[in-house]
Amino acid sequence: MMTPAEKRELWRHMREPAITFAVLLAFLAINVTIGWLQPFPAVWAVEGAIMVLMIATVLLFSMEVIEEPALIKFFSILGFVWVAILFGMTMIDYVTR
Amino acid sequence: MTDVAMRERTPPPATLDRPLDYLHDAHTLRSWLFTIDHKRIGILYLIAITAFFIIGAVAAGLVRLALVVPDGQIFTNDTYNKLFTIHGVVMVWFFLIPSIPATFGNFLLPLMIGAKDLAFPRLNLLSWYVFMTGAVFTLATVVIGGVDTGWTFYAPLSTTFSNTWVVPALIGVIVVGFSSILTGLNFVVTVHTMRAPGMHWFRMPIFVWTMYATSLIFLLATPVITMALILLVMERAFGIGVFDPALGGDPVLFEHLFWFYSHPAVYIMVLPGMGVISEIIPAFAQKKIFGYKFICYATIGLASITFFVWGHHMFVNGQSEYASLAFSFLSFAVAVPSAVKVYNWTATIHKGDIHLDTPMLYAMGYIGLFVLGGLTGLFLATLAIDEHIHDTYFVVAHFHYIMVGGTMLAFLGGLHFWWPKFTGRMYPEVWGRISALLIFLGFNVTFFPQFILGYLGMPRRYHVYPHEFQLLNILSSAGSTILAVGYIFPMIYLLWSLWFGKRAPSDPWNAKGLEWTTSSPPPKHNFIVPPIVDFEPYDYPVKAGESV
Amino acid sequence: MSDRAAIGVELAEQFTDVAQQRRAATLGMWSWLLTELLLFAALFLIALVLRILHPDSVREAAHHLKFWIGATNTAVLICSSLTMSGAIVTSRLGWQRAMVRCMLATAALGSLFLVFKGYEYYQDYIEHMTPFLAWRPYELSGDRASQLYVSLYYVATALHAFHLTTGVAILLGLAWQARANGYLQRHQNRIEIYGLYWHFIDLMWIMVFTIIYVMNR
Ligand SMILES: [Cu+2]
Repeated sequence: MMTPAEKRELWRHMREPAITFAVLLAFLAINVTIGWLQPFPAVWAVEGAIMVLMIATVLLFSMEVIEEPALIKFFSILGFVWVAILFGMTMIDYVTR
Repeated sequence: MTDVAMRERTPPPATLDRPLDYLHDAHTLRSWLFTIDHKRIGILYLIAITAFFIIGAVAAGLVRLALVVPDGQIFTNDTYNKLFTIHGVVMVWFFLIPSIPATFGNFLLPLMIGAKDLAFPRLNLLSWYVFMTGAVFTLATVVIGGVDTGWTFYAPLSTTFSNTWVVPALIGVIVVGFSSILTGLNFVVTVHTMRAPGMHWFRMPIFVWTMYATSLIFLLATPVITMALILLVMERAFGIGVFDPALGGDPVLFEHLFWFYSHPAVYIMVLPGMGVISEIIPAFAQKKIFGYKFICYATIGLASITFFVWGHHMFVNGQSEYASLAFSFLSFAVAVPSAVKVYNWTATIHKGDIHLDTPMLYAMGYIGLFVLGGLTGLFLATLAIDEHIHDTYFVVAHFHYIMVGGTMLAFLGGLHFWWPKFTGRMYPEVWGRISALLIFLGFNVTFFPQFILGYLGMPRRYHVYPHEFQLLNILSSAGSTILAVGYIFPMIYLLWSLWFGKRAPSDPWNAKGLEWTTSSPPPKHNFIVPPIVDFEPYDYPVKAGESV
Repeated sequence: MSDRAAIGVELAEQFTDVAQQRRAATLGMWSWLLTELLLFAALFLIALVLRILHPDSVREAAHHLKFWIGATNTAVLICSSLTMSGAIVTSRLGWQRAMVRCMLATAALGSLFLVFKGYEYYQDYIEHMTPFLAWRPYELSGDRASQLYVSLYYVATALHAFHLTTGVAILLGLAWQARANGYLQRHQNRIEIYGLYWHFIDLMWIMVFTIIYVMNR
């Protein structure tokens, strides 16, 4: 069994993951609710925004990018920048056809 | 154990005059196939891609043979289609893409930054096996079964109409993609974390910069084409329809995904060549490279801009004209960093102490042909002109000037430049110069007529053509025989030099850079004493009155 | 819980020190994750293109996806991220037994995801939402473009399930190794690196779920 000191130590380290967990579940709940109810036509934009927040939460806190050196921060963003290039340049075609 | 027993068991090693190098470290086949030494893996790649090059070159020879007569009597249409597909698939996927990064990059990157090895040596070996698995599989497919889609695998030909062995060929190419990714990953991590003390970013040789930029392209572009090719396989296997216009899918979407990788892939092939040239020229002009930092920035610039221009392959394919306009405009931007490099090389040569040894001959050839290939690229990036020359021999000539005139010449130049370092032997200089000149001559005779053919309207990928094009086609085919001789010579004399070449000193060219400070060939962990870098890159002697 | 072990990393010969080795491993995993992101991004791009080309068919197809199973599975993976974080935290504290338990819990949640996923495919099959099976009638056969989106759903979820399956397999392998005495003394960073991968699979699922199931309804 854990001693009270160990319990405190564990909690000190697990507090952040636990909060992250709760936040992610809350975001998911919002997205599921509005996704199910479809309250207004442009609701996809809100859903997308919440997805971005969830991504940021996982990256920054679950994957601890916030504590990493600048290089890792850069690499964690780089992929998304390239996704934006892929989407942006392709969309120039599809939205103007 | 007594002295006597020792002496009886192990006779003294044969060569005592130099430290035990990576080649003589162990001799068994096993010690090669399970090596995790980056230098040996580089050599494994070199052997593999040379074999693939020979297959691709034979296919090219047969294509040129077919084009000697205008009526297409030498091969059937199907055979011709399969031949140019073999040539394209093998040369692009199994030769050009891995050529310089996987061979020279593997061998030299750790040496140039003063590291013992790449960051992940086992992963490096794995990536060779992944490469061989995919490449041999696809090769067997395209040679035994045959595929007729060209190296581009465009839908709907590859999905609906082709009745050849498309699926296995695709699977092999997908597998090879993972080897590129793993190599790129290894290089990126190595450059970031394995540099010797004092080797900060602006002390790295240009070759390392280009390897780094290439590796980023490997990481960021390859997965997209992997997915596109997986979807082609799915399309053929299950008819998922995403690229099938009959169901409302869009074949142009495949082209977007394909060229998101395949245009940057041009820079996977070109940037390493630029790196090689940037090493050769200062060594044979005995002069500090002109505008070092500009070349570094231009390298990163090219690697980034290259992701914004892919639509120039799709001007006549039904892409929206606004997109074409944007892609055309951005394609012109590529010329800027490319020109920066060319000016820097020529400025380096200017008033240098020039030695026209074989590597320098290749480098000079490279500059000229790259300029011609690059400028004709601007024609193709121009919307109105592209309408006229799209899918003609003009395009074929253009990209061969870049791929052969650029990458292939750089590859051969680098091979001669670092051959003493790889093997510890010198190649025969006279034969080297003769074949360099033959290749330059043969190349131009082969491909310059194709510019004219294309401009006159001869489409690519047909072997039946109007009679008035025959003369230029015969000229082109004749040139390819000269080119072939130029390729065969090095294969012979380089092999010969392995046993009979002069022993190479550690720095035969009086060149600068960490790889020349260690013995030729280097010892197992590259340096006897781990290097500390307290000098600038390319610190060639500065002559009086010269400004740096 | 007095089995606190020393933690550390065994130095591989190509590195000069452990800090360098850790930096290299972390950067290596992030580089790999870049490629994973772009692999999935191609599918998300296709989803967007289909949405632009055939908005009604896409909406119709999305309404036939099993929204609640997808939502439940997202929650399951978010839970697994928590247990994975638990494994990382305990590995840093040197609590090897607790770490192994967290890893097993993570693998169990990953497997639960796969079970739900299998059940979802089964439901799809029952409801004739399998346009790629030539011998089986397709529910929305009047709307041919809808099958593009349904196929995309299969490719995206199958690709993710493949990643999760390998993820669970590697995790079980690591947990097996990690029972050995002194494991954390030699290989603590493996847990950290693997944790990045697991969180990223979770991240990819969040994107698959939001884009394929939710945004196109
Ligand atoms: Cu291009």
